[in-house]
Amino acid sequence: MEAQGYRRTGFVLALLWFFVSLFPLYFVLVTAFKPPIAVSQGPTYIPWLDFQPTLQAFRDALSGLRGDFWGPVVSSVLVSLSATALAVLLGSMAAYALLRFEFRIRLLAGVIFAVVSIGGFLVLNSLWGLRVPYALGIVLVAALVLSVLANRLPLPGPVMKNDDVTFWFVSQRIFPPIVSAFALFLLYSELGKAGVRLLDNFPGLVLAYTAFGLPFAVWLMRDFLQTVPLEVEEAALVDNIGRFRIFFQIVLPMSLPGLIATSMIVLAFIWNEFLFALLLTSGKWQTLPILLAGQNSSRGDEWWAIAVAALISIAPMVVVATILGRMMRSGLLSGSIK
Amino acid sequence: MNSATARRDGIKHAFLWPAFLVVLLISLFPLIYALTVSFQTMRIVPPMPPRFVGVQNYAEILASARFWGSMWTTAVITVLSVVLEYILGFALALALHHNVPGASLYRVTFLLPMFLAPVGVALIARMVFHPYLGPVNDLMGALGVGNLPFLTEPNLAMAVLITVEVWQWTPFVTLLLLAGLQSLPGEVFEAARVDNVPVWRRFWDITFPMLLPLSVAVVFIRLIEGFKVIDTVFVLTGGGPGTSTETLTLFAYNEGFKKFNIGMTSALSFTFLVVVIVFGTVYLALAQRLTRRYA
Repeated sequence: MEAQGYRRTGFVLALLWFFVSLFPLYFVLVTAFKPPIAVSQGPTYIPWLDFQPTLQAFRDALSGLRGDFWGPVVSSVLVSLSATALAVLLGSMAAYALLRFEFRIRLLAGVIFAVVSIGGFLVLNSLWGLRVPYALGIVLVAALVLSVLANRLPLPGPVMKNDDVTFWFVSQRIFPPIVSAFALFLLYSELGKAGVRLLDNFPGLVLAYTAFGLPFAVWLMRDFLQTVPLEVEEAALVDNIGRFRIFFQIVLPMSLPGLIATSMIVLAFIWNEFLFALLLTSGKWQTLPILLAGQNSSRGDEWWAIAVAALISIAPMVVVATILGRMMRSGLLSGSIK
Repeated sequence: MNSATARRDGIKHAFLWPAFLVVLLISLFPLIYALTVSFQTMRIVPPMPPRFVGVQNYAEILASARFWGSMWTTAVITVLSVVLEYILGFALALALHHNVPGASLYRVTFLLPMFLAPVGVALIARMVFHPYLGPVNDLMGALGVGNLPFLTEPNLAMAVLITVEVWQWTPFVTLLLLAGLQSLPGEVFEAARVDNVPVWRRFWDITFPMLLPLSVAVVFIRLIEGFKVIDTVFVLTGGGPGTSTETLTLFAYNEGFKKFNIGMTSALSFTFLVVVIVFGTVYLALAQRLTRRYA
């Protein structure tokens, strides 16, 4: 009796949330087909009954009548696909290494890296007046070499293991993105002065988004790769097959569903990302979210145009969510949360 | 480990280093430069040669009412929305777990919002909450409440921002808690049912404590992510009316790209980092005590 009551409450809640989730999407979908008069005279809801649907807004947008539309679409597609591919590839390689091998990093070597890079930069930049990109470049190489060598010495102090390295990757997400986005903006503009154009350019954006997607990729792929049985790999190792061949021809194909799921999630995050794009692009390589944010001030109440823009940014993600939803139902994703 | 396997293990570096280098180069290394900039005054417009000023930028931030205002705004939006997301998300996960009618239909729908661009969601919310042309005020009118100035009155604007956050991120909580529910051992619940433990007690004595570690993680992720909020605010209110809905990230952005005060923005973003680390540590310490009391 009592359980029935809870069941009914749950049902009502789920139904209510179903409508709350869908209504705004329904509203933007119908708005895209509205003629101006159906917007300016108060809300209308049902096509053919409340208003006569029209494709005018789509035609205007796609013909470029209202500013460049294809530019941001193309740059969003190119940037997010390339960055996702790179992030998932490098991320699963790192995840594999973290699962199959043992890493030992001495805390002191990390401290040496930090001290040498910060101190070295201050000396080179402030005292010797070296330009920022050169100073950073020199410092990076010097600090890396020194700390790698230091790591081989039997230094005292705690030793960090694989879990710490994984945490190091994931902890990038704890950073407020404005910190690294702004720092990256400063660095890119300094590099621009030195002749390397990364601001508002394809390589700069792809690099930034690869770094942005890597924490997810490492974290998710580590869980997915864990399910690949060791025996297959061991058999291949005995046959003297190289690690890279094992990884690309055995391990990755065996964790294909996980690879797809990870790619989808990383793709969604990069496709929707706003802050990096806001800081790192100014014109040619503007992505869809920036175009969308601009609609607000430039369009005012031309909702049909705004709705079309919103729909174009949303549509691919609806596909992504549907695929993931199916995978979730088949129990694939539940294994990744422990 | 003998030397032969150690030599063969050398390949591990080829697997790990590319990812490591990208993150180091793009996410961490620029911070060194930004850190030095935060101790200087540096402006692009009007161009001024950088001058070392020590901690002056930081002192100015801590003395600025606008900073504390944006901190308060961010905290209110984050905490309230995460609390609501957690309660709603947990309830929905329970409903889905017990297969309410239509559960399979809801699953995809419930996932949808969190995959949409926050900027797009904010644009839609702008239409939905429009004072004259939006459906929400249409409903309010039908209920006899009258038109509400959703985006121009500070408290209502905050409420709208929280609503948008909850709408978009409740699915995240539902998704993870549902997975958690499905991984719980069935025998315990079977035993409780046989012993006729009431549903409410079953939840508080079994389900909730068993999912507590997962809940702590889920709430942590949402708090951290919520703290970064800029896109929805940027589009919905632009921080207004006045600066009443300005979040930390938006404040830092405005300093840098409207006032072109680079040194100040760097200092702000590092202050922000400290704030996040302090809050995160306090939260994790509190959460650990809570978990221990239940365990």
